[in-house]
Amino acid sequence: MANRSSGRWYCTMAGHDAGNQYQFTGFAKYFNSYTLQGRKNCVLATYAGIAAIFLFFKLKPKKQKQIAEK
Amino acid sequence: MTLSFFDQFSLTTFMGIPLIALALTLPWILFPTPQNRCLNNRLSTLQAWFIRQFTHQLFLPINQGGHKWALLLASLLIFLITLNLLGMLPYTFTPTTQLSMNMGLAIPLWLATVLIGARYQPNHTLAHLLPVGTPGLLIPILIMIETISLFIRPIALGIRLTANLTAGHLLIQLISTAAFHLLFIMPSVSLLTTTLLLLLTILELAVAIIQAYVFVLLVSLYLQESV
Repeated sequence: MANRSSGRWYCTMAGHDAGNQYQFTGFAKYFNSYTLQGRKNCVLATYAGIAAIFLFFKLKPKKQKQIAEK
Repeated sequence: MTLSFFDQFSLTTFMGIPLIALALTLPWILFPTPQNRCLNNRLSTLQAWFIRQFTHQLFLPINQGGHKWALLLASLLIFLITLNLLGMLPYTFTPTTQLSMNMGLAIPLWLATVLIGARYQPNHTLAHLLPVGTPGLLIPILIMIETISLFIRPIALGIRLTANLTAGHLLIQLISTAAFHLLFIMPSVSLLTTTLLLLLTILELAVAIIQAYVFVLLVSLYLQESV
């Protein structure tokens, strides 16, 4: 997308738009793959999910296995 | 002492002192120093014209904030082209065949682009990991794929340059050895092999220039995403 300001053309990269043309409601307003904030939130949610799964298996108690072995 | 085909890539030493520092610094002597004259000599003018044209083309798609990288990328291109082309001379050591050196260039440059993006445009940097219009079910998968591809970039940068230069030098040595040994056995086949060697050398000259350009171009593309 190109715009003209003070006699010079400035080009903005595709994907760096604010996504004002999209009108999402509800959950899709914060998590979608079209707006900048939506994409950012999806990325953060995915990383949080992966971290949660990792922590779950890391901190999972192993006492049940020890009792079964005894 | 019997030499293997990979001995051409071993670090040059003189009385135990590695000469790679000389191999990296001495090529700069070949380039004229720009002088404060209105009209320079032909070589200086040609050098300045080439650097200006390259820098202009490379930084056309990059925003103003990335233009401070112009000196770094222009000198990196000249550096890599010089090392690669000097390495095409017989019995010269090519520093860019060393993976350690190429990774030493690739990782800091890539990391700098990532950190600049994370520092000045964190939202854009994170949003870049998810392509626009991705279907809902594919979002987590694609984010993981994009993250992996992000971290593979410096490895690919370094290995691409190393592998291309190493493979080219190895092929030249193999075919030249074959042409030499066939000269006394089957001269006609040796002539064909020499013709192949000539064509391969021309190809390797092009690869030497192109791989240096690709390295710098990819770094500029990573920078373009971050500024």
